[in-house]
Amino acid sequence: MEKKIGVYLCECGPNIAENVDIDCMLEAVSSIEDVEVAEKYRLLCSEDGKEFLRESIKEHGLTHVVVAACSPKQHELTFMNVCEEAGISPYLFQLANIREQCAWITPNKEEATEKALRYTRAAISRVRYHEPLEKKETECSPDVLVIGGGIAGIRAAQSVAVAGRKAYLVEKSSSLGGKVKEFEKLFPHMNSASDVIERETRDLLAKGNIEVLTESEVEEILGFLGNFQVKVKGKAEDEERELSVGAIVLATGFELLNPEELLRYGYKKSDAVYTSLEFERMNASGEIVLKNGKTPSSVALIHCVGRGEKGYCSRACCLYSLKFARYLKSRIPGVKVTHFCSDLCIPGKSSQSFYEETKEMGVDFVRATGIEVAGDGEGVTIEYEAHAGARDSLAVDMVILAPAMEPSRDARKFAEILNIPLGEGGFFAEEHEKLAPISTPAEGVFIAGCAQGPKNVADSVVQAEAAAGKILSTLILGKRLELEAKVSHISDAFCTGCQTCISVCPYGAITLDEMRKVSVVNEVLCHGCGNCVAACPSGAASVRHFTFTQVYQELEAVLR
Amino acid sequence: MRKKGQDTPVLVIGAGIAGIEASLLLANSGRKVYLVEKTSYTGGNVIKWEEVFPNMECSTCMVAPKQQELLASENIELLTLSEVEGVQGSAGDFTVKVKKRARYVDLEACIGCDACFDPCPVEVDNEFEAGMTKRKAIYIPCAGALPNVPAIDTENCLRFKGEDCEACKEACMFEAIDFAQADEELELKVGAIVVATGFDVFDLTKAPQYGYKRFKEVYSAVEFERMRASNGPTEGEIILHDGQPPKSAAIVHCVGREEKGYCSAVCCMYSFKFTHYLRDKVPEVKVFELHSDLCIPGKSYQKFYEKVRESGVEFVRGKVIEVAEKDKQLVIRYEGEDGKEDTLAVDMVILTPAIEPRAGSAELAEALGIPQGDDGFFSGRDLELAPVDTLREGILIAGCAQGPKDVGDSVAQAEAVAGRILSLTR
Repeated sequence: MEKKIGVYLCECGPNIAENVDIDCMLEAVSSIEDVEVAEKYRLLCSEDGKEFLRESIKEHGLTHVVVAACSPKQHELTFMNVCEEAGISPYLFQLANIREQCAWITPNKEEATEKALRYTRAAISRVRYHEPLEKKETECSPDVLVIGGGIAGIRAAQSVAVAGRKAYLVEKSSSLGGKVKEFEKLFPHMNSASDVIERETRDLLAKGNIEVLTESEVEEILGFLGNFQVKVKGKAEDEERELSVGAIVLATGFELLNPEELLRYGYKKSDAVYTSLEFERMNASGEIVLKNGKTPSSVALIHCVGRGEKGYCSRACCLYSLKFARYLKSRIPGVKVTHFCSDLCIPGKSSQSFYEETKEMGVDFVRATGIEVAGDGEGVTIEYEAHAGARDSLAVDMVILAPAMEPSRDARKFAEILNIPLGEGGFFAEEHEKLAPISTPAEGVFIAGCAQGPKNVADSVVQAEAAAGKILSTLILGKRLELEAKVSHISDAFCTGCQTCISVCPYGAITLDEMRKVSVVNEVLCHGCGNCVAACPSGAASVRHFTFTQVYQELEAVLR
Repeated sequence: MRKKGQDTPVLVIGAGIAGIEASLLLANSGRKVYLVEKTSYTGGNVIKWEEVFPNMECSTCMVAPKQQELLASENIELLTLSEVEGVQGSAGDFTVKVKKRARYVDLEACIGCDACFDPCPVEVDNEFEAGMTKRKAIYIPCAGALPNVPAIDTENCLRFKGEDCEACKEACMFEAIDFAQADEELELKVGAIVVATGFDVFDLTKAPQYGYKRFKEVYSAVEFERMRASNGPTEGEIILHDGQPPKSAAIVHCVGREEKGYCSAVCCMYSFKFTHYLRDKVPEVKVFELHSDLCIPGKSYQKFYEKVRESGVEFVRGKVIEVAEKDKQLVIRYEGEDGKEDTLAVDMVILTPAIEPRAGSAELAEALGIPQGDDGFFSGRDLELAPVDTLREGILIAGCAQGPKDVGDSVAQAEAVAGRILSLTR
């Protein structure tokens, strides 16, 4: 087909024109092959400028357009839209940045002009080979699978169900409520945890639209954002369900580190040593008694158990240990309670007052390191190093350990099923720690609650609602998903089936066609990052809009 | 089932990272968003930082794509220089009064070329740079403050003092300066309101023992961030007032914690970041971190602490009694862990002030009819189970307006707010 390229040079008022010889450029580009029209304009991004561009494209029946102006960050989209309005594909357009990269940084006018001309020539060389890419769309399911029936999972399911989506809540155990249902009370307001779980579960079931699958496990997940196919196995051998959902929330929660691994804390060696969850359950049963039937008159709360080994602070332990001091003080008059901690971590606006009020109840705090629990009978001795380096000790009737929080044992399984990475501490890794804290690199797969990292109930609830926010914002009832047009493509003819591309794709977008032994790109999953192109040893992979020819032609023109 | 408030527009107050994220999610779902911002730009506090912990990512580069997306979104109407004055109605049907001050620069016509700055005869302290640089009466606070369009500051512009100055107008090639613009009173109909007004920092002059404003080499964390910022007053060089790099520096944690009664959650981590800044720019500098309890919650933070610690910094646990000046150095007198007094002499002191609610939060709480806690932050309906809802249905809170937190937690809350709105008022 005959190519008619239009080249438009923007003066950007004085911004480009003052330091780049626009007329000289105009003359140079006019004589380039296939350039049908070359024009300059004072300010192309203005309403007048866009109108001029639109009309000029139509008038000359252009097939391709080059604009030499500012950074693509500024106005690439503006001019792509103008092209579309003028009736040509926005992908048949190229912007040359002659402002930020020339006029504004190259002080010598002659040099700036030379550079601007090279950039513009490069854009012309490249645009010639552009293809009118198609914006594709795909159908999507608005329904959601939530894995894990703790507080985060319950909340995520509730939120999407209220919005009219079907939610499937899959829980491995026989009941909902996760770890929270084992607590007596929640800090800092000391509401009854069982009441909270009962109310939340009741609210959940009342929503309709929700199917709760307890004693069930997810076995397989295939597909991508908008179109996941999930196999769920029930408790009976032959019970298997297939679900179609558009998004997945991983709310698989946490486990406590087993203190038996850390001999120095005397767990299981002495009957007087309990974990925090054991103590929660004891307290929820209504009575604090030791295994010998006696009520403890002195209790040590040991913070940060396993922190050194895990390499992170579990965030919630300081506050729940303070809560334990309150349990003890309210149930056992006169009990002596001593906290052993290195640093007290109580971030947030209401935590410090909770600490101060607890302290005022007559609770002691000892800053200690090198803690060891000695003795194996009734009563034990806490040996520790105080600030000055001297060893000290304290005999107590009972010890409560605050072990580090670890990811659920299922985290690795789901990481493999979904091809998503595990990050620090073995928790699921976020897509971006700051800007996408509940997203994963797999589009449509979200993480909420302690599956993402140690946290308290409030922060888990926030993440669950955030997962709902992301899902409700992306998967809209009755709307199709728009796909990225600049995706990767693997040529059947050149692919040797070595699968290098599969190993470098961060989005799991490439699979091997077992029959033909070639790699195939799933265009819904591909983000067009180009990893596969760089890695492919046989040159079979290319990214649309960044093909070898396009990039080579562009480079050659810059260097010529 | 169609509920009240379905598809109604949403008002978001505050265009910091939380407000931006909430607006984007709501807009992408198809909802119309009015984003009201008090200043002339988006990006809030985050764009003041050079890098964010723990991955030391360039902050403005990190936020810029979000700001661009926001400015390009057809569903978001950004109202800068605007403030909410009153709210009536109920969830699904609020009427909001907004006062929009004139920018006097046409957002469409201006291309952000800066040609108007030089001719402006007025020079005042740039508050964005904590007063460390000057700006003109027509100005953009810093690079990264998008939209890249200046505003005229009517408090300092000569025209608004009765003089007939048109220097900026004459310099503008695009006829973008428009003195005929006037303040507007807008009335917006919205179904839900998001409060994402962010934070200010504790006024360090209220704790005079730290020597802030008394000794010139005592810096606030914000000033230090701007000093390290490559787009800031020293273009990223860490230098004392005599132009020399410090030979020693002390970073003091928890300043104002006692006065405010809470831990600000992020200061320990950004103090480690400051040590990293210092190490990076002034390799020979001796660094001290004067702290009480280290608060570094979360799965990746301790690793950062350990890395910084290994890079060479002395952690001193103690409570500052007083900062004084002696022989051109700053002497910090503090009570150590053992209860004994000790001193530390350094060239530079950096204070980490507590995070507090934005100035004007009380007035906004009044206008919105939502409660604040004793600490002044907006209160959630239930701290554990409904942390982003307020007692007034349809009004939600996100980010540091709710309490001190880092960027990741602010973004999570913003997304949660979007989730609440999209599920409840659909």
